Amino acid sequence: MNVLVWLAVILLVLMIWVGGKSGARSFISLFFNFGVVFFTMFFMLDPNANPILITFIACIVIGCVSLFYINEVNSKTVIAFIATMITISILLFFIVVVSQKLMIQGFGEEEEEAIAGMSLYIGVDFIKIGASVIIMSTIGAIMDVAISIATTMHEVFKHTPSLSKKELFKSGVSIGRDILGTDTNTLFFAFFGGYLALLIWFKDLHYSIGDIVNSKIFSSEMILILCAGLGIALVIPIASWINAYYLVRAREKFNKIQKEEQ
Amino acid sequence: MNRIRKITTWQWILFLTVAICCIGSIAFVNQNHSFYDRPIAQVIDTTIEEETDVTDMHGNEDKLFVQKIVAKIMNGEEKGREVQLVNEYSSSGAYDQQYRIGNEVFVSIDSNAGEQLMGSVTDVKRDKYVLIVAWIFVFTLLIVGHKQGLLAIVGFVINVMVLSFALDIYVKYYGVSLLVVCGICILLFTTISLLLVSGRTEKTYAAIVATLVATVVSLSITSLVIWITSGNGLRYEEMQFLTRPYHTIFMAGLFIGSLGAIMDVAITMSSSMFALYERDHTISVKALRASGIDIGKDIMGTITSILFFAYISGSIPMLILYLKNASPVGFALSMNLSLELARALAGGIGIVLTIPIGLYTAIFFIERKRARI
Repeated sequence: MNVLVWLAVILLVLMIWVGGKSGARSFISLFFNFGVVFFTMFFMLDPNANPILITFIACIVIGCVSLFYINEVNSKTVIAFIATMITISILLFFIVVVSQKLMIQGFGEEEEEAIAGMSLYIGVDFIKIGASVIIMSTIGAIMDVAISIATTMHEVFKHTPSLSKKELFKSGVSIGRDILGTDTNTLFFAFFGGYLALLIWFKDLHYSIGDIVNSKIFSSEMILILCAGLGIALVIPIASWINAYYLVRAREKFNKIQKEEQ
Repeated sequence: MNRIRKITTWQWILFLTVAICCIGSIAFVNQNHSFYDRPIAQVIDTTIEEETDVTDMHGNEDKLFVQKIVAKIMNGEEKGREVQLVNEYSSSGAYDQQYRIGNEVFVSIDSNAGEQLMGSVTDVKRDKYVLIVAWIFVFTLLIVGHKQGLLAIVGFVINVMVLSFALDIYVKYYGVSLLVVCGICILLFTTISLLLVSGRTEKTYAAIVATLVATVVSLSITSLVIWITSGNGLRYEEMQFLTRPYHTIFMAGLFIGSLGAIMDVAITMSSSMFALYERDHTISVKALRASGIDIGKDIMGTITSILFFAYISGSIPMLILYLKNASPVGFALSMNLSLELARALAGGIGIVLTIPIGLYTAIFFIERKRARI
């Protein structure tokens, strides 16, 4: 049997063993997300479609699956969703500017062998596709931070409902800080692992530091890692602010209604 | 009062060092042309000579441009002279790009006859922008994360240095096995990152033990599966940048790749279990186990999907190229996604296994602490 089938079956069994019903649900959502990435790619094949727009729609779908399907629709998930979308929009804009300056779209010299014999003039915009790839790679982590902050801030508010907007915001940011380190670690290592072969290649062929830093493939990898970190850092104040704003407004509304009733 | 003033001076010193490093390094990369052996030129004028519509054999339409560039050489013997460059690029830009005034490029000078130098562009000078983005990253992390942001950056830098040093050893001594090198790396990465994330406490030690155990167990499971199926379904052909046996490199990459996620789960498990214990010292093992499983359920889905997205998305450009070149979908997917999917699935297995392993390690450490008191 195929390695992938085996690994998938083992993962499913483990997820059900550890998580029961919610484990099975996580497994299904993984494959659903995989399907979304897959479809996104198909839409990007159309040269007239704008990859940025497609990515944005894909992010909305992914957000709906991961936040609303797994955790159901409530104020926490809605806020996490909004915060994720705002962060992604800012990040997308930044990445497009940066990748235009850096010219890191498409494939590098080191990949020549893999693309040999293929027609490269295929009419799609590789700068925008590159930007979409970075966004899609980090959306998981950004959503994770957003939902963790929303959940914990709602919890904090429930225990101490008298907090001011500023205090709430501060508590949100400090929750975010605790996740910042581990989430950036998760992504850093994932990218390191993926590019281990490239690093060994650089060492084996005695690239100088100048050669490495300026090579397309290394700088695009660097930008991916840095933008992932940026996304995780940016979502923290954004999610905290929206949460604080919402919670304080909800309290004011509640107080008003109570007053009117009296 | 005294204490507050002390912290602020430290912060000032830190802030000043960072600012000086930032300005100094940006000034350096803007003036570092003489450190390069390859000639660098700055584009001062461009004109588009030709514009043709092309259609390839698969019916893809694209536009090709020929661009004539005048550039000034910035280093070497020809410094200050102008060079004429010809650049061909397509509007999709998979392997080429348009140059604009102000861009700095590496050039090769083809002919030196007469007044005019003729040459072609070999690559783009990217160090300037990589550095600027790196500083934006550092500042954002410092502003948002304060101490934790600083520690994340420090951890990142140390881990990169450890990895680079380890790979140097591996490349220099051919006899050293990559798996041994990576094993030691994993040990160092785990200790360094977790100590930086949560300090020298019991919960950190519990997380370190859990991470290492979970990594070894998931390594064994994945190796066993690959051994039983003799790697059926993994298309190593598409693995790029190979200078060495692909199988070991793939396995080593797989482990380093899932390590971050495993650490994430391990530290989350152990710190929340210890928090429960701190709140109530008499909490029973059964209650600890029940809430540990609940916490595990919550994080399992999100962390596996972080890993999935990080791995799968990277192969989109290559998949698009394949499909646009009329490859059958099944072939394109298995060529480009099999290794990435294997990585993501193996990482997922590691993550899920870390939940019970982290749970019992934390309980063990808590029991030990309780026995001591």
